[in-house]
Amino acid sequence: MHDGTGRIVVQNLTKQFGPVAAVQNLSFTVEPGSVTGFLGPNGAGKTTTLRMLLGLVTPTAGIGLINGRPFSQLGNPARVVGAVLEAQGFHPKRTARNHLRVYAAAIGVPDSRADQVLQLVGLGAAGDRKAGGFSLGMKQRLALATALLGDPQILVLDEPANGLDPEGIAWLRTFLQSYARSGRTVLISSHLLAEVEQTVDQVVIISRGQTMYYGPLDHLRDQQQGRVLVQPSDTGALVAALREDGITGIEQLPDGRIAVTGVEARQVADTALKAGVSVYGIQEEKADLERLFFQLTNGQYAAPGQYAQPVAYQQPPGYQQPPPGYQQTPPQGYQQQYQQPPAGYQQPPPGYEQQYQQPPQGYEQYQQPAQDYQAPPPGAQQPPQDNPYGQQHGQGGLGGGA
Amino acid sequence: MGNLIKSEFRKTTTTGLWWGLMIPTVLLAFGWALGTGAIFKTVSDFMNSSDAEELASLLNVDPSQWQMSVFGIARSINVATIFPMIFGGLAIANEINRKTITTTFLTSPNRVSALGAKMIVYILWGAIFGIAIVASVSIGIALTSDAGSLPDAGGWLALAGVGVLSSILMTMFGVGVGALMTSVVGTTVVLLLYMLIVENGIQLVLASQGLPEVIGFLPNGAVNGLTGSVASSLFLSNAGVVPEDMVEALRAFAGALGAFDWWLSGLIFLVWSGLFFLGGWAATQRKDIT
Repeated sequence: MHDGTGRIVVQNLTKQFGPVAAVQNLSFTVEPGSVTGFLGPNGAGKTTTLRMLLGLVTPTAGIGLINGRPFSQLGNPARVVGAVLEAQGFHPKRTARNHLRVYAAAIGVPDSRADQVLQLVGLGAAGDRKAGGFSLGMKQRLALATALLGDPQILVLDEPANGLDPEGIAWLRTFLQSYARSGRTVLISSHLLAEVEQTVDQVVIISRGQTMYYGPLDHLRDQQQGRVLVQPSDTGALVAALREDGITGIEQLPDGRIAVTGVEARQVADTALKAGVSVYGIQEEKADLERLFFQLTNGQYAAPGQYAQPVAYQQPPGYQQPPPGYQQTPPQGYQQQYQQPPAGYQQPPPGYEQQYQQPPQGYEQYQQPAQDYQAPPPGAQQPPQDNPYGQQHGQGGLGGGA
Repeated sequence: MGNLIKSEFRKTTTTGLWWGLMIPTVLLAFGWALGTGAIFKTVSDFMNSSDAEELASLLNVDPSQWQMSVFGIARSINVATIFPMIFGGLAIANEINRKTITTTFLTSPNRVSALGAKMIVYILWGAIFGIAIVASVSIGIALTSDAGSLPDAGGWLALAGVGVLSSILMTMFGVGVGALMTSVVGTTVVLLLYMLIVENGIQLVLASQGLPEVIGFLPNGAVNGLTGSVASSLFLSNAGVVPEDMVEALRAFAGALGAFDWWLSGLIFLVWSGLFFLGGWAATQRKDIT
């Protein structure tokens, strides 16, 4: 029937909804034993891809394979793959336990399994309550419980952290990691890298329905390039001196400073000293994952082609050079953003939970840097015109440090 | 398949919909039986009165042998089966509306078996509703009719049989329409409007244009013919001599104007149900569940 490898293979998946290309020629592989993050901004095609993989949406082209088979050929599919697709899909008048028993019967597992999974997701006391009265977080837990009924080898979760409280997210992270460590496969989608950064080992980043990056998260981390922002007394002299030292990644910022890519602050300072240029201010700026993710997925709604650099399906991934957006000089305020000590971002921020205590801010972050979102939802603050990155700075806990 | 049937049956018993529809079903069946029983009793009382006796002897008929109640039974069953039809109509439409269809498909080997299991469970429910309807109608009619106008045991069994059958077929018809429409409100409105108003209008037109035989091919005409044909043949077989002209009127009385024999009517209605179900099946089979 299926090969039992626990491998998910997505090959050239394409889905056209009328004139809208939701997914374009998407390919990646998810291996067992690891948690793979499936990342992209809202509307990037994540949900459609997962639904095609699960046989709910028919692809226009390409194929999604689970254990070497399309979903429809898995036999008893819920024994192989469990999916959390949305915090809906419950009859509001049916109790949580009855909901689980309905599907336990379909899968062919004993009714006692319903109570087991209820306990597992922390809904043991709510089994006799109707799903209609559940909070979003409880519905997410119930959806996860449903996915776990058949004790599947593969778990697919679409934005499972939505509506979960900090405690719930911490629990989910631990749960998914231990699930993967037992040799099983976990694929988890999110539009927030920070949300899953602590959870995933591999990432697939898509934008506008195309793969932008595919590979281990550590590779992505290693490939970040920092830059040094320096305020010299004589810009021309310093640039000349740096060029002499063979440093070419130099850029003039509108505020009079220059940005030097690919060097350390000390080297710039030494060069300035040798050239007899005073340095009024110098700082190292480290690109954090969040920014990298933004660059990779940037321009989803911009002019077509501008950022269309889908990385070919390959290992190791082809994120060799920063995408065009990186070079663009950010407006005032951008610089302040990365003033935190460079070492800081490497460490996981203390307490994963804390990050999620400000979900509105995290969300704003994606509203603002781009023209992507025409109308911010009520409550989202409009950033000052000249400082679109200001809010991003505001949630330093996400980027690292602190 | 057994697992899926069990799952589908649990779906129906773990929400209140089945008894929410069972209560009005029983009340309506009982109420109609009481009412029609009373009306036909008045009619047969009149026919047995001295005034009518002359007329009866003139027509060479014997009203004391008329089992008028069979018409009441047939009519009451026809009306009450509206509810199992709605119950069936909500089977798939509700799942799509509530998005439970996602999990249903994720836990089924394929969509064909999921929908097939659902159909089997709703056939069972159609029978349960049918038994409740026949029981309510029988009690209601017995309360208001003369003992003489009630059918004998064989006649009652025949009527009960087609009553349950028509309830099953109506449920299947509902499942088919619901699968095709996929909207809860749309399915309910279309089913009710068509069965209660639209087709009755068409039947009036057809009857007035002298084409009553077409009625037997229409969904409502066919399903009414199921019980109506049995009722009128029961009546005719016991009524002694009935003038040719009256037969057609009696069939209209029974709600079986233009209808074919009960088995042919049932077959025609089964084809209608099947058409809708296959259409809905095909639509659901290819549908993107988003």
